Amino acid sequence: MEGIKKSFGGVHALRGVNLEVKKGEIHCLAGENGCGKSTLIKVISGAHDADEGTMWIDGKEVSKLRPIDAIHMGIQVIYQDFAVFPNMTVAENIAMNHELMTGAKIMDWKQAHVLAKEAMDEVGADIDPDILLERLSIANKQLVAICRAIINDAKLLILDEPTTALTSKEVDKLWEILQNLKKKGIAIMIVNHKLDEIYQIADTLTIMRNGKYISHGAIGEYDRARFIHDMTGRDFVETKYSPAPSEEVIFEVEHLSRKHAFHDVSFQMKKGDVLGITGLLGSGRGEIGDALFGIAPAEEGKIRLNGKEIQIRSIDDAMKNGIAYVPEDRLTQGLFLERSILDNTMAASIKKYFLKGKLNYGKMEEATDSWIQKIGVVTPSSKPPIKTLSGGNQQKVVIAKWLNTDPRLLILNGPTVGVDIGAKYDIHAMLHELAEKGVGIIIISDDLSELVQNCNQMIVMQHGVVKGHLSNSVSEDELSSALSASGVPAKEAAAQ
Amino acid sequence: MKNKKTKAILTSNQMIIVYIMIVLSILIGTKNSAFFDFSTVITLCRVALVTLIFALAEMLVIVSGGIDVSFPAIACLTLYLPVFLETKIWKIDNVVLIFVLAVVFGLAIGAFNAWMISIMGIPPLIATLGTSSIINGALMATTSGKEISNLPASMDALYSSYFFTYTAPSGMTYSLSVLFIVPVIFIILTALLLRKTMLGRGIFAIGGDRNAAKVAGFNVRKIQFFVFMAVGAMTGIAGVCSCILARTAHPTNLMGSEMMVIAAVVVGGTRITGGHGTVIGTVLGVFLIALIENNLIMMGVPTYWQSFVVGLVIVLGTSITSLRAKKIAQSAKV
Amino acid sequence: MEKIKNSIKNMDNSIKTLWLLVIIVLVIMLILDAANFFTFQNLRSMVFQFPEFGIMAFGMMICMISGGIDLSLVGIANLAGIICVEVVLNLNGSIGFVPSAVLGYAAALAVGALCGLFNGFMIGYLKIPAMLVTLCGLELYKGLGEAITTGPALTGLPDAYKLLGNGDFFSIPFVIIPFLIVVIAVSFIMRSTVYGQQVYFMGTNNEAARYSGINCFKTTEITYMISGILGGVCGIIITSHFNSAKSDYGTSYTLLTLLIVVLGGLNPDGGKGKVSGVLLAIILLQLISNAFSILQLDSSLKQLVYGALLIGSLLVNIMRERVALKRETRLAAAKE
Repeated sequence: MEGIKKSFGGVHALRGVNLEVKKGEIHCLAGENGCGKSTLIKVISGAHDADEGTMWIDGKEVSKLRPIDAIHMGIQVIYQDFAVFPNMTVAENIAMNHELMTGAKIMDWKQAHVLAKEAMDEVGADIDPDILLERLSIANKQLVAICRAIINDAKLLILDEPTTALTSKEVDKLWEILQNLKKKGIAIMIVNHKLDEIYQIADTLTIMRNGKYISHGAIGEYDRARFIHDMTGRDFVETKYSPAPSEEVIFEVEHLSRKHAFHDVSFQMKKGDVLGITGLLGSGRGEIGDALFGIAPAEEGKIRLNGKEIQIRSIDDAMKNGIAYVPEDRLTQGLFLERSILDNTMAASIKKYFLKGKLNYGKMEEATDSWIQKIGVVTPSSKPPIKTLSGGNQQKVVIAKWLNTDPRLLILNGPTVGVDIGAKYDIHAMLHELAEKGVGIIIISDDLSELVQNCNQMIVMQHGVVKGHLSNSVSEDELSSALSASGVPAKEAAAQ
Repeated sequence: MKNKKTKAILTSNQMIIVYIMIVLSILIGTKNSAFFDFSTVITLCRVALVTLIFALAEMLVIVSGGIDVSFPAIACLTLYLPVFLETKIWKIDNVVLIFVLAVVFGLAIGAFNAWMISIMGIPPLIATLGTSSIINGALMATTSGKEISNLPASMDALYSSYFFTYTAPSGMTYSLSVLFIVPVIFIILTALLLRKTMLGRGIFAIGGDRNAAKVAGFNVRKIQFFVFMAVGAMTGIAGVCSCILARTAHPTNLMGSEMMVIAAVVVGGTRITGGHGTVIGTVLGVFLIALIENNLIMMGVPTYWQSFVVGLVIVLGTSITSLRAKKIAQSAKV
Repeated sequence: MEKIKNSIKNMDNSIKTLWLLVIIVLVIMLILDAANFFTFQNLRSMVFQFPEFGIMAFGMMICMISGGIDLSLVGIANLAGIICVEVVLNLNGSIGFVPSAVLGYAAALAVGALCGLFNGFMIGYLKIPAMLVTLCGLELYKGLGEAITTGPALTGLPDAYKLLGNGDFFSIPFVIIPFLIVVIAVSFIMRSTVYGQQVYFMGTNNEAARYSGINCFKTTEITYMISGILGGVCGIIITSHFNSAKSDYGTSYTLLTLLIVVLGGLNPDGGKGKVSGVLLAIILLQLISNAFSILQLDSSLKQLVYGALLIGSLLVNIMRERVALKRETRLAAAKE
């Protein structure tokens, strides 16, 4: 592809992207969230048309691609949400592509089973082919998606952030499968932003930033520094957060447990601490946040905030105790896109402004304006809908929403995902300030550099238990190995 | 493994309907022994004939993730207009033409619905409600509710054609109209469509996840047009059948039957959210509702309680289907 | 003049359309039958009519903003009206009209609230789609009403009962009072209470609302309860208007209230809507309805017009959005 441009109603998703993938090569498309990777994939797969630029498949120029055309030309995409059908069986899902490709009018169920078995054997999966997809775990759903993709003599296989939901063993398995496919001459493109994984698997890579093409080349041409420089536009500066030491315990958790989520979790936070909780997905890291905010309360254990023992059985309980939570998925869980910046900022604290029998909009505007100033959001006023702001500014507003509730403990899940580098620094600076003032800050994240630079204490979770307490004297590599070091797994789930 | 599957079948939605029907039949039978006679089956078939066609059509729409409340209006139009044209304007007598015209009108309206919903993006409920009002208003205004009772002879001939006649011990005769072949054909066609053709799987696909269907390569627009036009054609035929059985072309009689049909479809296990549904379930749902409606009096329920009882059945049926769906969504994943 | 021009520019698109339609209707009537339309008598008769469905429209409005819909309002209204009339009929002899009417009214509102709570439970707790719940609810409440009346209308009410729906005070119809109260109350609730704002949030993004500490189940229950109560108020007015109670009065109101709400600028997906829009739409629809009777047009043509308006207004909205999107894209591309 060359010079691909794509805009959506004023929002430039892609501004001139060049990309080249060769046969039998594993090519990585790297870039931070929001850089336009998803849009580029949609253009390649025919789900969207580019506004400008040209695309060649197998040396032939193509245009006005429909999804079915792309599939015919050998392009298979495995999306982040897998795009599988929850209401159909495994066998049907796997055979689906084949049926559509061959333009069949009749559904051949027997063949579907045969195809499914073939694909699953090749991939090494063992799932009941007659089970409805809605009953499968995420990892198994992804396996079904992969089976579906390889069924059709794919020429170019695109995987969009395939490792987000996998355990490290499953990731290794995935690399194995991809290496096999590579030997068969299939071109593979992986969209990823995790440096370590890219080094593990990629032959070549292309880096994008803010919708623009930045650079490409063999993996050997990239060292850590260049990689980060191209991805973020800034040089890697290693700073570590070190608060003034304190003996005051502001938050502690004892033997917290919830079935199937986490077990016997205990930790202590002192004034000034920024605690990082990390671990692979499914390790319990997100579940602890859910428990502390009352979304999925713990079944056993004690929680003590500022010395007082508290019960958290619901979101209401959590908020009444001054606990705030910035959720993982900003778009669906944190923002009201169509509503104004003012509304979004006030959403969690409306009750405060019910004075003298009615809502005081004047005070709400004042508060919002002051937050806009404090957190550094660029906007002429608080009236425009929040969807007009950039991802970074949106996240700042979500944080401001919670800061407006005057929390004593602020939990953030993936706080800087999809946030531009400038906003990232601002947010981290804000969190440091709060921590020093005595507000407990917990960052749940899988961004190693974020954790190492901003948390003075870290907990590594694995399979629901705390595997280690670390301080930020460790380096990123040490943290990375702590994450992937295998213990004896309680339940490996590559298959059932 | 086999035990699990047998258990699943025995507790499935369809079997539950069968159990309820058995229980109800026993209840009715004890109050009125005349119920346990073949004539009951024939009566039920007659009563359910038109509803079956409606329900199958509506099931297609609901499985595809939409809804259509304009079908009674379409049926009214397709039963009245062809008869009007033949008897008052063209003065001819051709029942085949009646059916053809009905299908053509139905297809046209279905296409209009599909355009509004698929291309313009109007919510299906509102779009079809609008269509229904326009048709109903037009019919009422032009006919003032007057029916055409002098049907063309060829239509009447169909009314008097039976598959067989059965004489009950009481001496009364019950006949099964040849028109019963219509819903039977549709049942077979729909079942084949949904199970065996890619178009049918496509309907399930867009009902399951519209976006996934698009990226998988399904032509979502084409499928939606097919679904709504199929509804139009099927209800067109249903309207004519209803007209023949009633021996009169009434322009507004069928209005108000949306709820009953949707109830039968949902009680039969089709999820209102789309993506799930079976032909057997829908057929059972229609018969269950017909059984209840037709025999409330025999069960000792006074006429003025009937609406409420049916409403209750609908509420219970939809609650159970939705609760089942909710349970699955929240259950532990494999 | 500048001020007027500016305020027109800043007006919401749907309000602009409404004003345009109002002017069109007025002009048409001016041409066709000014003598009968533009009289005080006629205005008065209009004021007698719109509160019935106007109040219902506000119930529908709140439910739609919350992301749902309430199609059962007609059923609730009739059921509440039947209960109210039963109370009055049974107690009038023993405790006199006024106390029995007060009790009757209270009973009607209670019935409305209960039906609303039931709707809210099915929607908020069992998570059954609102469209299905309220469509079923319509049948259920209508059926219950039919069961209580055993079919025919309940009559035999004391003359005083007619007063609310048909009486006036220095030529101002009494019914305008509950209507105005509802307008002011709904306006206040939606704009100036915590609950009101929470409804908007819930309708915009249910999950984010939950994550922001909003109790969605409670908010849903309150929403449908208010709608039910408003339905109850309509029931009182309708039965007073007809001086009798039946299970199927006002069946055309379901379509009408949906149309009002859509014309009034509400987004069927939820999260948007203002009282001013709905109010203007109520007035517009009343003008249209009235025009029909003055011109002695067949009332079934009304249904046709309503259906066409419903589809037409949504089509206009959608096309407008598409044009705007295209323009924005063009502008942005030009900037590059």
